[in-house]
Amino acid sequence: MTTANASAARDAILAIQKGFETSGYIASDGIATAVFLAQALSKPILVEGPPGVGKTELATATSALLGKPLIRLQCYEGLDEAKALYEWKYGKQLLYTQVLKEKLGDLMQGAEGLKQSLARLHEFDDTFFSEEFLEPRPLLKALWAKDGAVLLIDEIDKSDEEFEAFLLELLQDYQISIPELGTIKAVSTPTVFLTSNNTREIGDALKRRCLHLYIPFPDNRLEQRIIASRVPALASELRDQLVGFVQSLRGMDIKKAPAVSETIDWARTLLLMHATELEPELVRATLNVLLKFQSDIELVDLEVPAMIHRASVG
Amino acid sequence: MTQILSNFIQVLRAASIRVSTAESIDAASALNVVGWDHRDQLRETLSQVLAKTPEDKRAFHECFDRFFTFETVRGVEANVPSDDTDAGGQPQMPEAGAGGSGVGGGGLAELLEKGDSAALQQAMASAARAVQIQNIRLFTQRGMYVRRVLEQMGIEDFDRALLAAARQQPAAPEVARMRERKERLLEDVSALVDRQMLLYTANARTALREEVLQKTPLTRIEMSDFKTMQTLVRKLAKRLVSLHSRRRRVAKRGQLDIRRTLRRNTGYDGLLFNTVWKQTKVDRPKIIAVCDVSGSVAQVSRFLLLFLYSMSEVLPKVRSFAFSTQLGEVTDWFQTKPAEEALALTMKTWGMGSTDYGGSLTELERLTEADLDHRTTVIILGDARSNYGDPGAQALRRIHERVKRVIWLNPEPRSFWNIGDSAMQKLAASCDRVETCRTLLQLERIVNEIARGAS
Repeated sequence: MTTANASAARDAILAIQKGFETSGYIASDGIATAVFLAQALSKPILVEGPPGVGKTELATATSALLGKPLIRLQCYEGLDEAKALYEWKYGKQLLYTQVLKEKLGDLMQGAEGLKQSLARLHEFDDTFFSEEFLEPRPLLKALWAKDGAVLLIDEIDKSDEEFEAFLLELLQDYQISIPELGTIKAVSTPTVFLTSNNTREIGDALKRRCLHLYIPFPDNRLEQRIIASRVPALASELRDQLVGFVQSLRGMDIKKAPAVSETIDWARTLLLMHATELEPELVRATLNVLLKFQSDIELVDLEVPAMIHRASVG
Repeated sequence: MTQILSNFIQVLRAASIRVSTAESIDAASALNVVGWDHRDQLRETLSQVLAKTPEDKRAFHECFDRFFTFETVRGVEANVPSDDTDAGGQPQMPEAGAGGSGVGGGGLAELLEKGDSAALQQAMASAARAVQIQNIRLFTQRGMYVRRVLEQMGIEDFDRALLAAARQQPAAPEVARMRERKERLLEDVSALVDRQMLLYTANARTALREEVLQKTPLTRIEMSDFKTMQTLVRKLAKRLVSLHSRRRRVAKRGQLDIRRTLRRNTGYDGLLFNTVWKQTKVDRPKIIAVCDVSGSVAQVSRFLLLFLYSMSEVLPKVRSFAFSTQLGEVTDWFQTKPAEEALALTMKTWGMGSTDYGGSLTELERLTEADLDHRTTVIILGDARSNYGDPGAQALRRIHERVKRVIWLNPEPRSFWNIGDSAMQKLAASCDRVETCRTLLQLERIVNEIARGAS
């Protein structure tokens, strides 16, 4: 029983990997497994890792793969449910009360006494707090999406703890409670990604409800594949050198290690400059694409020739 | 299979990875989908479900490698033709070991004779599970578990056969071979038990030691334990940080939050009836830590400073001073240098000579003039033994009048106060609280209270 299951799962994971590849996202085994598990267990994925390794990109790629719309919620300090979940359309609500006031006379015509008027009023639908006056924000949109959606809650670590707690219900049962309306359940379960840059520790309660995927910087081979897929025009020898160079940069003691997105940028830069191989002058001139701190640039500047040599040999 | 999973989770917990029950259920349902057969796939799956911080992941991979070296590999090895009862090759845990393990007594002899190491490994593994080796705690239990595993594998029948053979023909080469095989089996089983012990008790020992260290008076802690103490302090500090960084309160003043006010008042026809204010920032306390760094008090000082600086996230404004004969500020050192270095430097610069409380407190007042206000907490750590000199009660009273509170921590037990040259009583008059502070636990409690008062 397990054997059949395992190979079926293996195939599914490989299929996901293939699917990502066609849309230009090179996924490691871990990433593909996570996406597969998220589908199979309908659980959200919490993605952590250094900036620029493709955390947000993963959600975009998944949305392309599943053919479902991507709904994105960028977190920041002070984000609350009014911006994340829903908001009442006050203006319309106020107008509605105005209209109601005017019509009240017509409605109450013929009613005798307070009791009868009240009964009349109760016959009326309670539209003041109804879905018509509800303005859906990303989370509610994701729950209401008929054919499912990919929900990306980006940089959850930037939000407040209260917001994190508020997400728990959504992540656990894919439902949400609106005091005036009751509980709203997901029409079809969305695929949820949460990303975090680890600026603060995420609460255990949230972590417990998610699969936890850690995306590290890619190794040499994976990064070469990524560059090959993103910047296909680049000659393979130069790609070899370039990735080797970036990999050795990451091993150095610098403030901010270059991310994958920066490697891609650099590859594009070199392509623009019609470079055929890494030369110290060229590297020095374009180092600011890779490194974002002056102190880092100064530190690396001296070592450039030696590093190029190593990158070409290794 | 569930048995293996729960054993593995136990191993993870022993390596201080926190795995909740909900997560173990998740792991089981994930494995239902993914299966056990692909090692990498299994590892990825479990790591995503069970280990949820980068540190946990690292520990997880270590545990995974150690745990699954012999435990599984079963999917692969099942392909080796085995003479087990069920040819399916998935010898699950033998139910309630009634007839011994899947390999009976005769089976053991046969198994040994064939020298099929894979099958033997399997038999050993199931026997180990049957005797619940995961309950092993102490190395003194090793012998017992080795014995039990052997028994479970049917060593008794084997022995009987050996004995019978030896009685018939003591010199037969067959008997010698049997003996040799038994020896080898014994070695294998001991190795297995050793590995298991390492696996299940890896962290039990450190946990025990940490518990003891927390209760040991700080003055009596050995040099060799300092490293553990430091990690321990950091651990405790981290807990306090996460505890206190969550507290926020809604302010009753400040800027009007128009959007939320409108929203709350829709029910009143848009009349602004209930007002909502924008939250103000949490008020972090200012802390002035004054530490006696002479003689025995120095040990406690070191840990107090370490504690305070490990909590810079909730206590960002800590100024620290050290004194014995004279007093000087050491804040910069602790902020820029690693703890050990800063401490050594502090001791070297200020730790000489006999303590002068009077002079030091007066100097403190002069240096901190600008910082003494209603948000400041002054923590003084010392034994209040001023060598019969001026204890500085006047200066402390003036400080006390200007700050939020003064807390005095004394590493001596209460019964020693006010004996000899201790001026605790005089100084206590100007303190909001006076506490004994001898162990890490007491230290933690006090720092906790300071941080709580903060928010």
